[in-house]
Amino acid sequence: MSLRQYELMIILDPEIEERTVAPSLDKYLTVVTTEGGSVDKVDIWGRRRLAYEIKKKSEGIYAVIDFTASPATAKELDRQLGLNEVVLRTKVLRREESKAAAAPAVAAEAPAEADAS
Amino acid sequence: MAKAVVRKPKKKSNPLKSAKIDVVDYKDSALLRKFISDRGKIRARRVTGVSVQEQRQIARAVKNAREMALLPYSSSAR
Repeated sequence: MSLRQYELMIILDPEIEERTVAPSLDKYLTVVTTEGGSVDKVDIWGRRRLAYEIKKKSEGIYAVIDFTASPATAKELDRQLGLNEVVLRTKVLRREESKAAAAPAVAAEAPAEADAS
Repeated sequence: MAKAVVRKPKKKSNPLKSAKIDVVDYKDSALLRKFISDRGKIRARRVTGVSVQEQRQIARAVKNAREMALLPYSSSAR
């Protein structure tokens, strides 16, 4: 079972308390650690305006998580997040190792690189 | 007789991104906004002046950013 590096971006319902975000993210990410992966970095951007409404919400709480896991685990995590009412949207992308290491901190909050294939 | 019009293609000012960025990231919405029109459409390569490879990276990044509501699909439709 080979592990891969992933980057997860998640948009949460803006109505939840901002300080409950980190604990609940940890809870969602337990599936990664129990299945032999690791969570490398959690970056909570906080509240941000959406470019368009999602589920009638014009704001969302953004978080970007870097993790290492097997493909099956990543898929399972995405599935579980999709079932969650509080999660407005998710995106799981592969990080390319060489680029991820070399990428300079971009103007926004997070470094690391994203590429869908 | 009409003068033969030889139009020299104006060399685009360096692709503005080759300034620093070598990898286009969908999270960097400030950068990507330079590559979309005010209606939210992706600007053509002849406008942006970037290479084919860069344009492809930009297009993919813009589309990813749209999915995550970082950029609009369309904006200010009149």
